[in-house]
Amino acid sequence: MALDLDEVRRIAALARLELKPAEEELFVEQLSEIVDYVDQLREFETAPGSCEDSLAEPMACGAKAAPEADDVAADTLPRTRFLDNAPRVLDGYLVVPRVVTAEKAGEKETKRR
Amino acid sequence: MSEIRQWGAEEIARRVRAGEISAVEVFDACLRRVQAVEPKIVAYLRVMAEEGRRQAAAVDRRRAGGEEPGPLAGVPVAIKDNISLRGQPLTCGSGILEGYVAPYSATAIERLAAAGAVFLGKCNLDEYGMGSSCENSRFALTRNPWHLGRVPGGSSGGSAATVAAGGVPLALGSDTGGSVRQPAAFCGIVGLKPTYGRVSRYGLVAFASSTDQIGTLARSVRDAALGLAVIAGGDHRDSTSVHRPVGEFPGRIEEGVAGLRMGTLREVDPAELEAPSRRNYEHALTLLEGLGAELREVSIPTLRAAVACYYVIATSEASANLARFDGVRYGRRAAAGGSLAQLYAGSRSAGFGQEVKRRIMLGTFALSAGYYDAYYDRARRVREAMRHEFAAAFERVDALVVPTSPGGAFAIGERIGNPLAMYLSDVYTTPASLVGLPALSVPSGCDRRGMPLALQIMARPFDEATTLRVGRAFERAVGFQGEPGFVEPPAA
Repeated sequence: MALDLDEVRRIAALARLELKPAEEELFVEQLSEIVDYVDQLREFETAPGSCEDSLAEPMACGAKAAPEADDVAADTLPRTRFLDNAPRVLDGYLVVPRVVTAEKAGEKETKRR
Repeated sequence: MSEIRQWGAEEIARRVRAGEISAVEVFDACLRRVQAVEPKIVAYLRVMAEEGRRQAAAVDRRRAGGEEPGPLAGVPVAIKDNISLRGQPLTCGSGILEGYVAPYSATAIERLAAAGAVFLGKCNLDEYGMGSSCENSRFALTRNPWHLGRVPGGSSGGSAATVAAGGVPLALGSDTGGSVRQPAAFCGIVGLKPTYGRVSRYGLVAFASSTDQIGTLARSVRDAALGLAVIAGGDHRDSTSVHRPVGEFPGRIEEGVAGLRMGTLREVDPAELEAPSRRNYEHALTLLEGLGAELREVSIPTLRAAVACYYVIATSEASANLARFDGVRYGRRAAAGGSLAQLYAGSRSAGFGQEVKRRIMLGTFALSAGYYDAYYDRARRVREAMRHEFAAAFERVDALVVPTSPGGAFAIGERIGNPLAMYLSDVYTTPASLVGLPALSVPSGCDRRGMPLALQIMARPFDEATTLRVGRAFERAVGFQGEPGFVEPPAA
C-alpha cells in the first residue's frame, strides 16, 4: 500500500520526529516501497492457534530464563553517575521545560524559566 | 616465527600464561598494527591505547604474582560501540549520544576482563546497529580491508574489519538480523551469533529486544568458540539470559562431521545468488559431503517471508526502544526553548541519522492503530509459523547450511540510496534471528573479484556446539587464507 504525505506526517508526530520537507518526500516514496514489499506477509501461512497462547517472544526456544534473583537489597549505581550524562541537571533532578501550566497562560508560561 | 598480529586468541593466551611473552608486548604489537592500517580502514571510533596498555600490564602483574590470568590472558579485544565499557564514551554511531560516557560495563565486558582480556578500542558500526554496510555511522566510514572501495558489511563492520586486518584476534559485535555474521562473511573471518538468551545483553544498547544477541568475531572457529565460552551464561541483570551450560572450550569441536545430517533449504533460490556465490555454495556442500556429512533437503516455506517479517518486527521494537533517546536524560539536547514535546522532537530529529529515522517511522507505522493487525501482528504470526517449520526441520537434520549472504561485499555507496535493496541482502541471516537459533558464518572462498564469501551453519537452540563442530571441520577442509590485501579503489 502506498503511504501519502499526511500519513507520513501522522507517523512522524507519533514517533516524535520533525521531518524536513525533503525528508517527508523521501519517506513517502521509500516507506511506500518497503510497505509494498512487506505486504507479501499476507501470502504466508501463520501458525495455528493463537499467538497469545504461545507467547512467541522472547523465550520461545524452550529454555527457562534466569531464575529470579534473591529478594535482597543491593547497592545500585550512585545517582550522580547517571546524572553526569544528563544535558541539564539542577540539585539532583533533570531539568525539562515546564509541562504543567496555568490554564490559558499559554505558550509564554512554557518558555524556559 | 609468525608475527604476533597473526596469532589467534588461543595462542596468545597460551603463550602469555606460559610466560613466553608478556601481555604488554602482545598489546603493543596489536596496537602498532591497528595504527598502521587504521588510516586505510577506519575500524575504530576510539582506540584505547593508554587504558588497554594499563590493563595488559595488570594481567602481567597478576601472572607474576602467581595468579591464574584466565583463558583469554593478554588477548586484545575490540568492542562494538553499542556495548558499554565503564568510563568510556558510548556512541552507538549516533549523533544523539554524543558526549555520553558509560556509567557501567556490560556483563560480557566484565566476563572478558575477568578472563584476562584487555580492550583495545571501540569499533565503528551502523547507527544503533541499523544497517548492512557500516555506512550509517555518524562518525566514520569503515572500509573493507580486502578492497578499500567496498563495504565491510554491517552493522558490526568495524569489529569485522579490525579482526580481518590483524588488529585484534577477537572482537565483540551484536547481531539483530545478521550484524555479526554478514560483516564476518564480507571480511573473510568467522562470526558467531549465539542462541537467543545465551549471552547476557546487560550493557548492550537495545535495538530489537526479541532478537538482539552479542556475538564473537575471530579469524578462526576455535577463537570464536573460546570467546563464546567466556561471555556465555545466565545473568541476573538480564532476565532473558539463560542459565544453561555452554560447555567447556574446546569440547567436541574437533570431532568432524562424519555421520551428521546436514540440511539444505529448498527455498534457497539459486537464481538469487550471484554466480560465484552459487558455485561456491555448491562447492561447500560437496566438501561437507566429502567429509562424511549426509546432505538432506528440507523445507522452510516462510524463508521467503523472513526479510519482510524481520523488518516489521525489528523496526517495531526499535521504535519503542529508541523512544528513550529524547534529549532529557542523556545525550544531545536540542537548543532550548518551546515545549517539552518540541524538545523531544527537536533533539531526536537532530540526533538520529536517516536510516534510524526511517526504521522508527516504519515501526511506528506497523504498531499504529489501524495497521497493527495487518503488519506487526501478522509478522508475529508468520514468525511463529517459521519457528514450527525450523523445529520440524531439526527433527530430520542436525544442522542447516545456507550461504551467509547472496554475494560478497558490495561497493561503498552502491546500495545506500535504496533501503529495500539493502534489506534484501539480509535474506539468509534474518531467519536464525527471528527463531533465535545459533548461527555461525565461516569463510568459504572468494568471488572472482577476490572478495570473501561464506557459509552459514545453523543448529537447534543452544546447540552452538554443533555449529562450531561443523564450522571447524569446514574451515579445515576449505583452507581459507585470511590475509586481506588493502586493495585501493580505482581513482575517481
